[in-house]
Amino acid sequence: MSVTQPFRYAQGREPVERQMVFDGKSGKLFCDCGIKSMMIKRLGFELLIGGCTLGIMEEPNRPDDPNILWKIFSSLKLTLALLIVLAIGSVFGTLIPQQESAMELAHKLSPGLARLFSSFQLFDLYHSMWFRFIIALLAANLIVCSINRFPASLRRFRGQPSPERPKLFANLAPQMAFALNRDLEEVSNNTSAYFRERYKRVRSATTAQGEHYLVGERGRCANFGVYLVHLSVLLILLGGLVGSIFGFEAFVNVPEGATVEKVMLRKTRAPRRLPFAVRCDKFSLDFYPNGTPKEYRSDLSFLVDGKVAHRGVLLVNHPITFKGITFYQASYGTIAGNMARLRIASKNGVEDSSFEAQLGKTYDLPGGHAKFEVVDIRSNFMGMGPAVQVQVRAPSGRNPGIWLFQNQEKIRRRFPGIFEKFPQLNPAAFEPFVFSLEKIESRYYTGLQVSKDPGVFIVWTGFFMIVVGLFVTFFMSHRRIWIRISKSPQGVRVEVAGIASRNKVGFAKELDRFRDKLQDYLLEAPPSQAETA
Amino acid sequence: MSSSVILSYITFVYFLSFLLYLMMMVMGKESIGRAATFVTLAGLAGQTFAIVLRWAESYRLGIGHAPLSNLYESLIFFAWTIIFLYLLTEWRTKNKSIGAFATPLAFLALAYASYSPSVNSRIQPLVPALKSNWLIAHVITCFFGYAAFGLAFGISIMYFLKKLEKPGKKNFFLRIIPRPAILDDLSYQMVVIGFLLLTLGIITGSVWAHSAWGSYWSWDPKETWSLITWLVYAALLHSRMIRGWRGNKLAILCIIGFSCVLFTYFGVNYLAGLHSYAQS
Repeated sequence: MSVTQPFRYAQGREPVERQMVFDGKSGKLFCDCGIKSMMIKRLGFELLIGGCTLGIMEEPNRPDDPNILWKIFSSLKLTLALLIVLAIGSVFGTLIPQQESAMELAHKLSPGLARLFSSFQLFDLYHSMWFRFIIALLAANLIVCSINRFPASLRRFRGQPSPERPKLFANLAPQMAFALNRDLEEVSNNTSAYFRERYKRVRSATTAQGEHYLVGERGRCANFGVYLVHLSVLLILLGGLVGSIFGFEAFVNVPEGATVEKVMLRKTRAPRRLPFAVRCDKFSLDFYPNGTPKEYRSDLSFLVDGKVAHRGVLLVNHPITFKGITFYQASYGTIAGNMARLRIASKNGVEDSSFEAQLGKTYDLPGGHAKFEVVDIRSNFMGMGPAVQVQVRAPSGRNPGIWLFQNQEKIRRRFPGIFEKFPQLNPAAFEPFVFSLEKIESRYYTGLQVSKDPGVFIVWTGFFMIVVGLFVTFFMSHRRIWIRISKSPQGVRVEVAGIASRNKVGFAKELDRFRDKLQDYLLEAPPSQAETA
Repeated sequence: MSSSVILSYITFVYFLSFLLYLMMMVMGKESIGRAATFVTLAGLAGQTFAIVLRWAESYRLGIGHAPLSNLYESLIFFAWTIIFLYLLTEWRTKNKSIGAFATPLAFLALAYASYSPSVNSRIQPLVPALKSNWLIAHVITCFFGYAAFGLAFGISIMYFLKKLEKPGKKNFFLRIIPRPAILDDLSYQMVVIGFLLLTLGIITGSVWAHSAWGSYWSWDPKETWSLITWLVYAALLHSRMIRGWRGNKLAILCIIGFSCVLFTYFGVNYLAGLHSYAQS
């Protein structure tokens, strides 16, 4: 007993009418999709199909199927859902401040809400477990879908379509056929010669009725474009994973003239020792006439065992890589240097004097009865600007330490009486002298981003492949052309038909051109060619 | 005459071509359609000249760089890519009705650039982060991508308008809009072009970020939104290619996709991030 059932299926193209035959004796389902019969075992069904897989192979009464996971991951609905969830999740990440800037928001929220946010890892959403889990699901989905579809693509790639396809010519548009007043064999040979020059894997067949069929194809590789795209997405994800496991991202501020061996990891704020030392020889800034910055430049030396192993100029957009670790010009700033200029006035008529004082050195006060030392220099002390701490050493044993501010007048205006109230801020605390700070020396420091990412090369490969893959997927098409040559009242009738995997409009034009050129060729071809061919 | 003055006039040229395309659709006269194409072409030529002039001006100021460095210059280039891509489509499809939906996008971009007080049209020197050969590749690929998505958006609007047409009843305006199936295919082709260029734009941006900021992906809002846009269009392409979605669903996805593009372009400026130079 067998049942025949017509059905329509659409697989990325217009629905096609096909017939399905269920053979009750063998329990097998057959489908007349052409090319070559293949057997696929899935979910208990055996399906004999040719050239294409069907999306309708499931047995409804087996919910405990061991392949249920596989089935879930091979669904495109899951893909779409994951893409949308990833997109929406990412939207939240751009609306909620992330990482460093998240603290501000966390303070504003009520404690309960803040706890809720942090339990969902919304403050570091892109590195949260659930976000990574969705990416992992998407990767699994991608792999399963690709594996599921690959055999069909491989079949389309390998498949040798039968030249004899009378159905294709059943409803042929009249302009796709032309008649010639020539000999059938001659036309057949010439067509074959012309066809072979332009299309690959041309094969022919002759039917019992004396009809000649030819088939040829182009762009077989187009079947694999989509796998290249999927593979490159996986490569890019893999590159990111490799980078996050084996790489690091850190930063370090290096004052001019200073040498550092440790950098601060961005994620954990933990120090990390480099296998070499970095010295900032010089930092310089350049401005355009209108005041916008033109260039940030750090002259760096890389030292191994105390010896300079490499020197380089670091600019924005021009990183330096040394021993696999890359340095980027990220920021700059100023810090206090070792020198401060102090002014000391005295109430008992001794002249005002100015000192260029070095940090840690002792100087005589005017009159020679006491000494002082600058013990600390800060570029911004208590948020009130540059300041120094001066320690006076008097023979009397009184050793007041006082802070002097460069912006003394401003501070006095903002906080009246502050200097008189706190002796440690009073510039006149050591009578008869009145100290004031004129200027502190400041040095530049360069802010370096330091990173190592062994995954970058994998990501770059993925980038290259995804571009190639998208080109192949969208702009190449697997085109197959069939030609039928038969006897007709006018002599010989030539018909041209074809199937393309995409870009039907472009392919219709290609078919038109092909038919025109073929007709011209056949009309011009000398009859002798047929005999030699 | 400075380039920004010429560009502010071009705004009205595109407005004129918009009116001409509309008139052509209402009156159904081919001669108006030809005039519309001519005016648009003239506008594109004038705009190209102005962009080259601006480039030359920047060299005369001693800060020479391609005019692709701030919001003003990007808006000008966005308008240029829309018109360029539209004229290419008109030439390929031989249908002028899309013009009535593409030219307003270019007009709005130019009007915003030239007449909004918040957009600075002065030629500014490049800050260190922008001094890179990747700038041109990144901006060109992104904006051609945006323009293709913009056209897909316009075509989707046309699709919904065309569906209003009642069979048997002659409608002057909708008559020359192509059949829904053709619009559907056309907007799909635009999405394909846009998707490829957006991918290239994200890649060039990523490679650039790697050399400028030391990380090829930092989840900066603009980066993230470009990824969101990419995901939306990826979903659109899959739903069409595998599930065979057509028509309404796809047109709605095209509109959602383009709103993501607009948010990536403008909306992100309201969020803090690394792309701050594109704000003024």
